[in-house]
Amino acid sequence: MFALRLVGAVVIPIAAFYTLWVTFDFLRDSEANRVIVVGVAVVVGVGGVFFLYWAMNRAVELLPERYREGVRPWIFVGPAMVLLSVFLVYPVINTILISFKDAQSQSFVGLDNFKFVFTDESMLRAIRNTLGWMILVPVAAVTTGLAFATLADRLRRGEAVAKSIIFLPMAISFAGASITWRLIYSFRPAGFGSNIGLLNGIMLGLGQNPVDWLSQHPWNNLYLMVIMVWMQTGFAMVVLSAAIKSIPDEIIEAARIDGASEWQVFRRIIVPSILPTIVVVATYMVINSLKVFDIVFVMGNAELNQTEVIAERMIRWFFIGQDYGKGAAIAVVLFIVVIPVMVWNVRRFREEEMIR
Amino acid sequence: MRRLRLLSLLSIVLLIGGACKAKENEGGATGGPKEANTGKVNVLAAVEPEEADALQGIADQTITGVDYTVEFEAAGNFEQDVQVRGQGGTLDVILLPQPGSLPGLVTSAHAVSLEDMGYDIGELEATFGKPFMDLGLVDGKHYGIPTNINLKSMIWYPKDDFDKAGYKVPTTWDELMALSDQIVADGSTPWCVGFQSEGSTGWPATDWMEDIMLRTAGPDTYDQWYKHEIPFDDPSVVNAGKMFGDVMFHPGYVLGGAENTPGLAFGDAPLPMFDNPPKCWLHRQASFINAFFPKDAKAGVDYDWFPFPSMTTEGGPLFGGEVAMVFRNSPEVKDFLDRFMGTDFQCAMAGITAASRISPNVNVGSDCYANQILADSAEVLKEGLKAGTARFDASDLMPAAVGSGSFWTGMVKYMKEGPSSLDGILKDIDSSWPS
Repeated sequence: MFALRLVGAVVIPIAAFYTLWVTFDFLRDSEANRVIVVGVAVVVGVGGVFFLYWAMNRAVELLPERYREGVRPWIFVGPAMVLLSVFLVYPVINTILISFKDAQSQSFVGLDNFKFVFTDESMLRAIRNTLGWMILVPVAAVTTGLAFATLADRLRRGEAVAKSIIFLPMAISFAGASITWRLIYSFRPAGFGSNIGLLNGIMLGLGQNPVDWLSQHPWNNLYLMVIMVWMQTGFAMVVLSAAIKSIPDEIIEAARIDGASEWQVFRRIIVPSILPTIVVVATYMVINSLKVFDIVFVMGNAELNQTEVIAERMIRWFFIGQDYGKGAAIAVVLFIVVIPVMVWNVRRFREEEMIR
Repeated sequence: MRRLRLLSLLSIVLLIGGACKAKENEGGATGGPKEANTGKVNVLAAVEPEEADALQGIADQTITGVDYTVEFEAAGNFEQDVQVRGQGGTLDVILLPQPGSLPGLVTSAHAVSLEDMGYDIGELEATFGKPFMDLGLVDGKHYGIPTNINLKSMIWYPKDDFDKAGYKVPTTWDELMALSDQIVADGSTPWCVGFQSEGSTGWPATDWMEDIMLRTAGPDTYDQWYKHEIPFDDPSVVNAGKMFGDVMFHPGYVLGGAENTPGLAFGDAPLPMFDNPPKCWLHRQASFINAFFPKDAKAGVDYDWFPFPSMTTEGGPLFGGEVAMVFRNSPEVKDFLDRFMGTDFQCAMAGITAASRISPNVNVGSDCYANQILADSAEVLKEGLKAGTARFDASDLMPAAVGSGSFWTGMVKYMKEGPSSLDGILKDIDSSWPS
């Protein structure tokens, strides 16, 4: 029985994936017309997977009746598990392994890399800065998003336009947004021609000297967070706005008739009604802030400006410093930090499911 | 019905069998010493897309009548791409701008040595010089073919205004300092300096350090320095750092002041030189910087350059450069490399106006170059390589954690925190050296 399950869940999917792999390898190398290749690939890919499930289902039918229902679910869940282990479980295990090895992954060095993570001055700063991102960005983005959502809800017309404008930055990539914001913070010392930066333009207009914004520690961390808030507020606004609109009008009307002020309506009715949504949005922002890398990386020498964050340190050590051990150790720490957030998120989700 | 069932079972068996068979074939192809011709050579380079287009154009013109195609690919994220694709085994040839990371790539990305490709190293050394070939030496085998070289020890000046003011091109360090004092006395500022380069902020400052180190400690100590045979806070390095600081922190020498240099983009830095009258008169930067000059500035009229002058010991030019690394041992890759490093391709490459490439191939004549500035710097480089005093950019030879990390950051920190911070910063860089 166990052997049958193993075959159904693991061996057959692997063999099928391998066959598909070889087919695609063959397709990629050929000099044929691209359109035809793509067409064939789609047919082979989709058709192949379909055929696989169909054939395996037929194979299960061949089994003695008492085995059938025990094996069938494994056959269908198997491919997903194989994919998950190839693309998720294996990299996690490998990264943990690398994190105990030296720069070139040649020999084991014990806990040295983790010692580095928790003693290096720059790494400690990165951890502190990341904590700052995790707290300040969700608070700022959710608060402004909620304010916009509540106020936009009261617009007689132009609600869609107003919301679209606030939502627009969401469509820009992090790196693109950072480059845009670099033009806002751009700095040239006095004597180096005109300052093209917006903020320094204002400073000059007010008769002040230009300021190198991005090197003003610790404020430069906030200047970088503003970019993320600018991008994420739109998302918070759209989701919260939808939640606000689903609050039954009767409740709000009843409160108003009872003499509640607008602030009381907001504080006692709207916020409690959409609290689950606020929590979901905030969790999403916390996870996003944990992962922030592009903004810090694009906006200058993080170590000099002391704006390091964990993900940025990871990329810098792994790829630029070419120290795989330290890079992997930072990745493992990041992974461990994410786990509680995820567990909490899943638990909440389950609780909500139970209420339904 | 029963037959249909058998059929479906059979088809699964066939499917698995086919997979196994395909695997056997693949194994047979890769097992040999040489791989088969795939009809395509990919060249991954850390260049701007325009330069890749120019290289592609040359390849299309000069490499004809062969049974493969050449594809030059500009990598925006070169370091990451090389790591990922190297480990995935999908690299053919790369043009590596930082030979310091070459040994790491040999192990992590499975590079093919030039010996295994069947090259005669003596012949290559005669073409490119032994010092440059030695940069690609790992465990007794060579892995790098020099394909581009650029001069870093250049000081640019606004020629027409410079001549009008009656200044003379200095040939020694003391003359250069005297000239700087003269400019201050005349009510102007001598130096324009900017070290900001996004995530790589600080590299122009390390070039300054290296130029001074090479000319005060000499080439031999310079070699010990980048190999970490002497500590990073050795007295010779401290001395070089002090002399660097003497220029940067000298009152009135640097436009905007040293503390602002880490925030000023290196490409913006030379621009005040082209104001009328110039707001600064001297700018030390490698040969590519004229791409950042105003479009209407003419070489030889509005600006010119002189070599970084000699200091206490005889030091040659500092150069940067690029080596080609090979990751696939197959006939078409070899044929491409032969053509790529040959004089025809190299001469055509020297003529790209957008890229200012200088060929490390000694057989490339000075008439190949796009302009006089490149031809002159090629001449300086050749002399330095011949005399054995020329040295490669040290930060590109140090381990990445230092050469692309703590050294960059340390030098700009020095600019911000002032002369007293030097000792501590050099000590920090020394302790960041991977053991």
